[in-house]
Amino acid sequence: MGDYALLYILFAPFLGAIALIFVSNRQLMLVRGIAAGSAFICLLSSLYLFYSYDYVKGGFQFVQKFEWSRQLGISLHLGVDGIGTPLVLASGILLFAGIFVSWHIKDRTKEFYIWLLILAAATIGVFMSLDLFFLYFFYEMSVIPMYLLLGMWGSHTKKYNEMTDPEGLKLRDSVGFIYNFGSNSKEYAAMKLVLFLSAFAVAALMGILLIYKYSGLNTFDILVLREHANLMHIPVLGTTLDKIIWLLIFFGFASIAPLWPLHSWSPVGHAAAPAATSMLHAGVLMKLGHFSIIRVAFEILPETTRELMPIAAVLCMFSIVYGGFVAYYAKDTKYVIGYSSSSHMGYVFLGMAALDYISLTGAVMYMFAHAMATGMLFAMAGWVYDQTHTRDIPSLGGLANRMPFISGCFLIGCMASIGVPGTINFIAEVMIIVGSWEKYPFQVIVAVVGIVLTLAYLFKMMRGLFYGPMDQKYSHAHDAVSFVDRLPLLIMITVSIGFFFFPMHLYNVVRSGVDPLIAKITRIVPLVAESSAVKLAAPGAGNTLSAVSPEPTATVPVGGGQL
Amino acid sequence: MNFSLTMSPSDLLLLLPEIILTAWLCLILIVDFSFPRLPNEQLAYLSIAGLGATLGCLVWFNIGGVTGALFANMFVLDRMALFFKMFIVGSTMLVILASIDYVHRFKFFRGEYYFLIVMSALGMMFMASANDLLSVFVTLEFSTFGFYVLVAYLREDMASNEAGIKFFILGVFAAGLLAYGISLVYGETGQLVFSDMKLTEVTPGLAIGFLLIFGALGFKIGAVPFHSWIPDTYHGSPTPVTAFLSIAPKGAAFAILLRMFFVALATFKPIWVLLLVAASVLSMTYGNIVAIAQKNMKRLLAYSGIAQIGNVLIGLAAGTKMGNDAILFYLLTYFFANLGAFAIIIAVSEAIGSEEIDDYSGLGRRSPFLAFSMLIFLLSLAGVPPLAGFIGKLYIFIAAMKEGLYVLITVGLINIVISMYYYLIVVKKMYISEPHDPSRIRVSGPIKAVLYVCLAGTLIIGIYPQPFTDWVVSATMMFSGLVDVPLTAIPPAVINP
Repeated sequence: MGDYALLYILFAPFLGAIALIFVSNRQLMLVRGIAAGSAFICLLSSLYLFYSYDYVKGGFQFVQKFEWSRQLGISLHLGVDGIGTPLVLASGILLFAGIFVSWHIKDRTKEFYIWLLILAAATIGVFMSLDLFFLYFFYEMSVIPMYLLLGMWGSHTKKYNEMTDPEGLKLRDSVGFIYNFGSNSKEYAAMKLVLFLSAFAVAALMGILLIYKYSGLNTFDILVLREHANLMHIPVLGTTLDKIIWLLIFFGFASIAPLWPLHSWSPVGHAAAPAATSMLHAGVLMKLGHFSIIRVAFEILPETTRELMPIAAVLCMFSIVYGGFVAYYAKDTKYVIGYSSSSHMGYVFLGMAALDYISLTGAVMYMFAHAMATGMLFAMAGWVYDQTHTRDIPSLGGLANRMPFISGCFLIGCMASIGVPGTINFIAEVMIIVGSWEKYPFQVIVAVVGIVLTLAYLFKMMRGLFYGPMDQKYSHAHDAVSFVDRLPLLIMITVSIGFFFFPMHLYNVVRSGVDPLIAKITRIVPLVAESSAVKLAAPGAGNTLSAVSPEPTATVPVGGGQL
Repeated sequence: MNFSLTMSPSDLLLLLPEIILTAWLCLILIVDFSFPRLPNEQLAYLSIAGLGATLGCLVWFNIGGVTGALFANMFVLDRMALFFKMFIVGSTMLVILASIDYVHRFKFFRGEYYFLIVMSALGMMFMASANDLLSVFVTLEFSTFGFYVLVAYLREDMASNEAGIKFFILGVFAAGLLAYGISLVYGETGQLVFSDMKLTEVTPGLAIGFLLIFGALGFKIGAVPFHSWIPDTYHGSPTPVTAFLSIAPKGAAFAILLRMFFVALATFKPIWVLLLVAASVLSMTYGNIVAIAQKNMKRLLAYSGIAQIGNVLIGLAAGTKMGNDAILFYLLTYFFANLGAFAIIIAVSEAIGSEEIDDYSGLGRRSPFLAFSMLIFLLSLAGVPPLAGFIGKLYIFIAAMKEGLYVLITVGLINIVISMYYYLIVVKKMYISEPHDPSRIRVSGPIKAVLYVCLAGTLIIGIYPQPFTDWVVSATMMFSGLVDVPLTAIPPAVINP
């Protein structure tokens, strides 16, 4: 273990995928075993990583560096800081849970697990890349498996199946296919997702190449670039170069986040995807956007970030409100959860835009929290779909009788998603709200309205699915009774609730990553231990933290003191 | 002008690969005529053995650093020539391996098929070494000669005949352009050898002359606006010939283009960059947009090939040593991906007798290996990590970025997204659509071998490109005098802030 933890986490799923190639689909248990085994190694190593990350020391740890191309100045430079560590853990948990959620897939099981493992490994790769090239490399690599996962194992939306002759449509493969919004087929969703994300990814690549050229250092290494790259004050096209690079990077990566108005691929994709893919997609893939913005724009262009981050503060309001309203009126379970995810990602943007110690810490913790909450909801929406073969909320109802365990977990999932005290989401939400209040009071009010909206649409869906009269055709639906079916939900619930009662390690780890970043961007003298304690004692956050923390002395953030 | 053809026996060493191949060419013909009942597989393996010997000789030269020039600089053997010769010989070997099954379709002249392919390869090997305008003309025609016959080899197939006629008429026209261009350039400079032309000013005759030569070479590589023969010829030709046509001549023509632009025309870089930018933008955009509408696999790859050449021209437009490295590297990635894709087309058309994209439906169920390989090759052509094509595209973009060709890079990046659409349509057919006929597809041994080589190439270059970048960097070493790239000392990384 030890120093090579990152390599285990990154390569366990890859090697699992390679091993699966040589197994026949007939040996179903062996296929599942290999997938679960490699995911388990990945999960264990990421747990080790999370708990042995030294937040007092901070900075990038577990660093691995291998030269990859001398001519191009690329090296496989891996390392995690306080921001990457929890996200790696979230990926590990969701991958492990996702393997079990998709335990009953019968069609081409082996291929499904291969692509799922590659998807997860690529996602994890982004969270630990310290090289711009590899960041993009893994980012783009995570997009292609989505196409196959959606296309091969996904499901059409209701509207598509109701069309009289869905396959008889003319010009399905021509350009018209892209614009054929009526047909919400899984193929359409998959193609839209890939093209949309690739289109914005190449914008980010353009930004990365501009950084490479104008830094003149002949390297893609983020650590070198953030120290030595001087990209400021180069006039280009009536503005300055750093602004153009920043906008390319920001919007390039914000598309996967997804920030309004670049979100339209996301709910369609969520709806078409199989449950495990939706979990990974909403749970960690969307966080690639925020993470990459933090890693590239915040690290390399701090000054420009301070100048231009208000853009995110404006757009995040639309994200929150728009996503919330559409989710309220959506009739498809996965659309509701998909739009709710895209709405909740607005909170993360708000926390990032405020550029405050507390709010950014809250944003990163919210990414972790949201991964668990939305993972649960998608897993259960997938279970309901498997049992009833529909995701249409009005036609469902009364399932609580048939599946008491699922409906109980669903309630917990909704609570977590809303941010009810008792789940880690609450702490993170409160930190975002408290941290950004000073700078963006209006946005905070919008965010609180968004929470109310979340409550409305999630309980509306809850009632639609599990209470009220039940259609007799669903009387064969059964609950998750076996250990394998319950395990993923129990894991995610445990994590979500557990971190509410023991949040300090997570907080300290994140804080150790956030502190140097915010200090660099805002140029406000970093908070020393006592001043951040004062800040923590503000109404809301401070009370919660000290009230639930098992050791009250730990409220003094150790991470804050290291600078 | 004073020719003095003095040759010592040791000079013959430089010609050794060509001499081996010429001797073997005669051997193939003799064996074919002497043993008419010999199964043509044997002849194929005989040709591969000869090409293998040639390749071994080239590898020995490359490792041993054998270089030199012959016949008053008409024939040069530098490391770039060695690179392209290996490129050509390698592609010929794989093409012959892939055509073993296909040859049964020919009713006549099965033996001569191998002879013609090896002969074209020989012509292209000379092309890679051609260093003056006369040898450019002779070797270009020598290599094209074999193709005129090969393209029309399916004698009873109308499409093949049409392809042959189209290719022949346009090819002869291009040869005319080339000859006219050469005569103009010779008239203006009085020199034929690239390195002897000390050009200082642009005269109309010189400009038109080089434009005509560029046109003739543009015809070879299929860049817009000289592409019009490509779709029909690719579609109509026997598939192994299409595969050969889509790779080897492009490599050989790029060897000449590099010598022409960087040796003869180095001083006029600001002018020809504009020409190349225009050709590159047009090729990428036209190729990719028209490819969207294709229903036939071979036509799809024909248009995608036009677009890929547009990408390579970005590297040429960069006009630096790094740009040349990127071109060589990109051609290497294109070699594996394109050849692999064509090998799959051969395998599928052997099994189901069709090359329409629609008939690829459900290939993922009918033959998981073929579908997976096709997925890898198409994604590599599209430029998706961790495959070779991605590194190739990135190398080209970095080279162009260093020269500040922003428009070209922007167009190139947008084209990646466009190309992803039509490659993914094929992936959708293979994996998502249900098969029309669920029977399994068997893959023959030789095709499998080709696919394994191409898969290995695509994956290894994509995952660990260092040995290959080292190779291409050393291959274009003679251009390093043209540009000096000051390498900034990279400061050490700071791990902890």
